[in-house]
Amino acid sequence: MFLRNYWYVAAANTEVGRKPFGRMILGEPVVFFRTEDGTPVAFEDRCAHRHLPLSMGKLIGDHLQCHYHGLRFDKTGTCVRIPGQDQIPPTAKVKTYPVAERYHWIWIWMGDPALADPAKITDFHWLDDPNWGAKTSYLHVKSNWQLVVDNLLDLTHLAFVHETTIGNSALAEHAVVKVTRAPNNVVVTRWIIDQLAPPTFVKVGKFSGNVDRWQIIDYVPPAFLRLDVGATPTGTGAPEGRRAGGINMRNLNAITPETETTSHYFWGQAHDFDVKNKELTQRIFEQIQTAFYEDVEVFSAQQRNLDLNPNAPQIDINADTGVIQARRIVDRLRDEELAAGHMAAAE
Amino acid sequence: MEAPGIASPRCLSSRRTRPSRLGDVPIALYRLNDQIYAIDDVCTHEFALLSQGFVEAGAIECPLHQARFDIATGRCLAPPADRDLRTYEVRIESDQIYVRVGGPRG
Repeated sequence: MFLRNYWYVAAANTEVGRKPFGRMILGEPVVFFRTEDGTPVAFEDRCAHRHLPLSMGKLIGDHLQCHYHGLRFDKTGTCVRIPGQDQIPPTAKVKTYPVAERYHWIWIWMGDPALADPAKITDFHWLDDPNWGAKTSYLHVKSNWQLVVDNLLDLTHLAFVHETTIGNSALAEHAVVKVTRAPNNVVVTRWIIDQLAPPTFVKVGKFSGNVDRWQIIDYVPPAFLRLDVGATPTGTGAPEGRRAGGINMRNLNAITPETETTSHYFWGQAHDFDVKNKELTQRIFEQIQTAFYEDVEVFSAQQRNLDLNPNAPQIDINADTGVIQARRIVDRLRDEELAAGHMAAAE
Repeated sequence: MEAPGIASPRCLSSRRTRPSRLGDVPIALYRLNDQIYAIDDVCTHEFALLSQGFVEAGAIECPLHQARFDIATGRCLAPPADRDLRTYEVRIESDQIYVRVGGPRG
């Protein structure tokens, strides 16, 4: 069961244009397009007549025309033309979804449209900020969305999965970890003091000796993880807030469920040093992308085992604190949505 | 017999607990309202370290499965644990915390 009353990232802004684009979001087929003035629109990807995905159709001006019998729908989802007849039944409508465009992403509200307030869109400003160099990308993940959230809340795995890029053994053995929580937030703060820099940091930061490294993971539900990451030469005051002479980055993650067993993983990497250097942005991006490809392999392998036996037991280790606290928040929010749904149904 | 001084009381706050050891036994120091307490650090449910958990309303909540213990008395307040923690006598002298080995109090 998904959390519905949230803005989710649906697409990169460049994916949505004058050619209708279909994607499954939270188990629902959705079609996206832009009107002639550039406004993004989202409908249920199903013609009201005989269910063909409207994403197989085409735009005639601001109307989406179904590929099968030519019914046309305007941006409110109302059918405005049925070839061969003048009357249009008032029930000839498709469901629309509130959408917004921010940080080079298209966001969609999957719950009660009356509650869709763009002010609730999670802040990813680093992706669209002249003080940062940034690049975004997309991964299709063959696992439930919560496995991706878990992965980002427990970074000890870097030492084992990402040894060639952002990981080394210091991450698992020498990190000082603190987890704090609020009703709708978990923050995992990790410091690794006076240890070797991982390969990516050596390449990007040109560190020649040990570093002080931080990883501050901020989770908000349902599935947004904004990581403040970087390192400075050791002993130069990073834990006290002095980050000069080091590298300072943000690893930004927005996961949108596709189905119960597959996910859309939108992510980006930003840096605040040498921000106009696009070659640097690309180089950093490729290092992280290499790591994320390794994670995607892990997720699909976990999911295959979970599919075989969803109730297999599991143990928890000390590193799971943040992971467990985030899942508790999701469970509580799920219970609250269910309860609200039952109350609404009863009324 | 007492273990050597562990730390200054100034290192502790309501938000900053300090794990330590008495010989083989993991313990943790907590500060509540200017009193320092020392209790076992291993949750009596499974093996999580309580000092990595959450201090709220005078209790420590286990980071893994949410068992809760009263910090001052070690009493188990919430499942899935059902055994109390041992508590240890604490003395402050010359700005150092000393914890008495060889006999939990209470």
